[in-house]
Amino acid sequence: MPERINITNLSKRYGATVALSGVDMGILPGEVHAILGENGAGKSTLVKILSGVVSSNAGTISLDEACIRPSSIIEARRCGIATAFQELSLIPNMTVAENILLPRASSGRFWPESKASIFERAREVLIEWEVNDISSQSIVADLTLAQRQRIELVRALSHARCLLILDEPTAALPDTSWLFRQIHHLTSRGVSVLYISHRLNEVREICQRATVLRNGASMGTVDLAGVDDEDIFTMMVGHGSSKKKRVSQESSTNGEVLLETYQLRSKMLKGINLQLHAGEILGVAGLEGQGQQELFRLFGGLHKPTSGEIRVGDKVTSLSSPRKALQVKPGIAFVPEERKTEGIFASLSAAANISIPHFAMTGWAKLVNGRIERHLAAEAADQVGLAPRYLGFEVGHLSGGNQQKVLLARALMTGAKILVLFDPTRGVDVGTKQSIYSMMRHFVDQGGAIIFYSSELSELVQLSSRCLVVYDGLITDDVAANEISEERLLASAHGPGNARKDSLQEAV
Amino acid sequence: MNQSYSTADKQDTRQAQRFSSTSIAVLTIYSLVVLMIFGSRLVSPSLGGLSQLMTVLYLSSFLVICAFGQGLVIMVRGLDLSVASMITLGGVLSTTFMQGTNEGLYFIIPGILLISALVGGISGFGITRLSIPPFIMTMAMGLIVYSVCLGFTEGTPRGFPAPILNAFMQSKVFGVALPILLMLILIVIFTTLQSYSAFGRKLNAVGNNPDAANIAGITVKRMTISAYAISAACSALAGVLLAAYANGATLRMGDDYLLPSIAAVVVGGSSILGGRGNFLGTVGGALLLTTLSSMLSALGVGQGWKTVLEGVVILVALLMLREQVFASLQSMFKRSS
Repeated sequence: MPERINITNLSKRYGATVALSGVDMGILPGEVHAILGENGAGKSTLVKILSGVVSSNAGTISLDEACIRPSSIIEARRCGIATAFQELSLIPNMTVAENILLPRASSGRFWPESKASIFERAREVLIEWEVNDISSQSIVADLTLAQRQRIELVRALSHARCLLILDEPTAALPDTSWLFRQIHHLTSRGVSVLYISHRLNEVREICQRATVLRNGASMGTVDLAGVDDEDIFTMMVGHGSSKKKRVSQESSTNGEVLLETYQLRSKMLKGINLQLHAGEILGVAGLEGQGQQELFRLFGGLHKPTSGEIRVGDKVTSLSSPRKALQVKPGIAFVPEERKTEGIFASLSAAANISIPHFAMTGWAKLVNGRIERHLAAEAADQVGLAPRYLGFEVGHLSGGNQQKVLLARALMTGAKILVLFDPTRGVDVGTKQSIYSMMRHFVDQGGAIIFYSSELSELVQLSSRCLVVYDGLITDDVAANEISEERLLASAHGPGNARKDSLQEAV
Repeated sequence: MNQSYSTADKQDTRQAQRFSSTSIAVLTIYSLVVLMIFGSRLVSPSLGGLSQLMTVLYLSSFLVICAFGQGLVIMVRGLDLSVASMITLGGVLSTTFMQGTNEGLYFIIPGILLISALVGGISGFGITRLSIPPFIMTMAMGLIVYSVCLGFTEGTPRGFPAPILNAFMQSKVFGVALPILLMLILIVIFTTLQSYSAFGRKLNAVGNNPDAANIAGITVKRMTISAYAISAACSALAGVLLAAYANGATLRMGDDYLLPSIAAVVVGGSSILGGRGNFLGTVGGALLLTTLSSMLSALGVGQGWKTVLEGVVILVALLMLREQVFASLQSMFKRSS
C-alpha cells in the first residue's frame, strides 16, 4: 500500500537549538500512527512542521507522493491536514459554532451569513461527531476544559481530509471512548491519524504502529502488537524503566488530622466531609466536572465555600486567600492544573520561580540576586529531581515536565505541611512522573500530607494510600489502600448506582 | 548517552544567549548615547565635549526619576498617565509650602512625597479594587490633580522654592553638579530596589503572571498599589527639583515628561506588556532621549520637526532592540571571533 504521508530526514533548528535532527517515518492511509517520546524529544516540533506553524530546515514531507511544504496552518489545511493542538486554540469569547467553522465562520459572499444558519451548520457538525451535550450557541469561555477540548477535536475532525494530527488529545478528557469512536469513524474513510500521547495504554488501544523519537531523531517505527511496554520505554529513554510497583500499601490514617472538612458546600459541592492525616497521600478520583476542581481551589484559598467548615491543624479557619492558606499552620500549598496561566513566571529564572515564597511572605527589604536564589532553591530542586543546571534558565524555555518540577519545588519551598496538587503529572513525560512520585512519597514520609487529584487512574492506584471518589459534588466512595484498583475507582466514578460491569466494558 | 549530553549543551547555549541579550540591550543603548554625544561634535564644535555630557546628565536627572516610577507601573502591566500632573503638583506644592524660605524643609519635602504617594495610591486602589483600566484611572487622576492645581493657584502658581534647594541645584563638587550626584545615588537605590530586593522580585512576579503570584502568596493588589504610589512620589520629587531648577513652578512644567517617561522605559528594553524590565536600561533610554533633544535644540530644529525626529529615533531604537536583531548580531560576533 502506498504511504499517505512520507517524511524523510526532517530537521529543524531554532537558533542554536536543534529540535529535530533527521526524522524518517511513513503513515499508511486509514492508519492511526502514534508518536512516542519523552518531553523534549521533538514531538511538538514535528506536529508544528506538519501543521504549518513552523517550516523545516531540511528534509521532505510528501503527501500522496507529492512533495508538500506547508507554510501556514491554512495551507496545511488546504492539503487536507488538520490539527488539534495541545494548547487549546479556540477563541474564548466567540460561540462554539463560530469556532468550529473558523476560518469560514460566514459562508456569505457579499452579505454575512445569518446567525441561525451558522448555528445550524455547526449543529450538523456537532451531531456528526456525536457531541450532544454542547449547544452550538454557547460561548466557549463558559465551557469546562473537557468540553473545550472536545470542541477543539471536533473542529480538527471536521477539517481532516487526509491527515488528522492529535497532540495529547486526552490530556483534559476524562473519557476516551468518545474520541476513539470518532477516530474509527474517520479512519474508516481512509483518513490517517497521527496520535501523540504520553499514555501508553491509550496508544495501544487505538494505534496500530508507533514511531519513537529520542532527542529529535526517529529511533524507528514499531508494530505495537509486537512489542511490550518495556521495549518501547527502552527505545524512548535508551534504558529500561523500572517496573512500576505498588508502594505505600498500608493505610496510614493513624497520623494526626491536618485538614478536615465538615459539610462543605459551594456552587458544585454538596456537603463534603473528609479528613487528611499526616503521612498520607490521599487520592481523589472523579470524572471531569464533579466538583473536584472547586474542592481543590477551596483548599488553595481561591474559592469561598457557601457553608460548612474547614479545620486546618485542629482550628476552624476560613481560607480567604492563597496567602492565608499558606500562613495558617501547618500551611497549605496549592499547585493548580494550569501551569502556564496560574503557575509559572515565564520570564523569571527557575531559581527565582522556586524561591519566590521565601520573599512573598516576608517584607520587601530582603536583598536578593541570582546566586542567593539558586542557593535557596537548590534543596527543593533536588527533592523534585530538577537538574541544578536548569536553575539559571528562564522557566518559559524549559520543557513542560521541568516547569512542573519547578512548581512542585516552589510548593516545597513554602514549608507548608499540606500539599494540594491538582493533576500534578498532566502532560509530563515518564521520567518526570517518576521524580514527582518519589518527591510525593518522600514528602509524606517526612510527616506531611498530600491530597491530589489525577485524571489517570493508574496513577491514583499507584500512589494513593487512600482514595476518595467524587461524583456530583459528593464523596461517593472511600477506598482503602488494599482495595484500590482501576476497576473499583472507575465504577465508583460513574456514580454510586452504576453497575460495575458497564463501566468496565467502557473502559476496556 | 552522548545524545542526552548534547541536548543539555544545546540548552546551555540558549541560556547564555538569553543572558547576553539583556546586557547587549543595555550596552547598545549606552553606546548609542556615547556615539551621539561625540558625534554631535560634527554638528557643532561647541558640542560633544565633557560640558555637554554634564548638561545631558543634569537635564536627564528629572526624567530618570520619573521613569523609575513609570517603569515600576509598566512592570505590573499598567501605565501611569498622571506623570505630568504629579510633576506639576510636586512643583506647586513645594513653592507654595516653602514660600522662598528654608524653614521646615525637612518635613515639607517628605510631606509632599507622602501626599503624592497617597494620590498615586488612590489611582492604584481604583485600578485594583474597582477594576478601572490603568489608562483611564491615571488619566482621570492626572486631570483631577491638574485641575485642583489650576483652581488652587488660579492659573499662576505663586511662591518660590527654598533658597537652599536653589543652591543645591547650582552647586558642584569636583566639577560635578549635585543633582547629578543625587541622580547617581538614586540610580543605585532604584536598581537595588527593582532588581535586587524582595520587593522587586515580587513586583516582577506580579507583572509576569498575576494569578500565579496570587497563588504563591504574594499580595498582588497591595504590590500594584505600591507601584502607583512610588510612581507618583517619584514624579512629585522630579517636580520639586524642577521648581528649584527653574526657581518657580508653572502649571505646564510636567508636560514634557509624560511621553518621554514611557519612551525611556520602553527604549530601555522593558516590555510594555509588563513582567520584564531593567532600570539600568531605562536610565540609558532617558539619557538617549535627553541627548537627542538637546542636540536637536542646539541645531536650531523647530519644535515640530524636533518631535518628529524624536519619534523616529524611538521607533528605530525599539526596532533595533528586537530579539531577532540580537540573534543576528550574536551570530555575526560568533563568526568574526
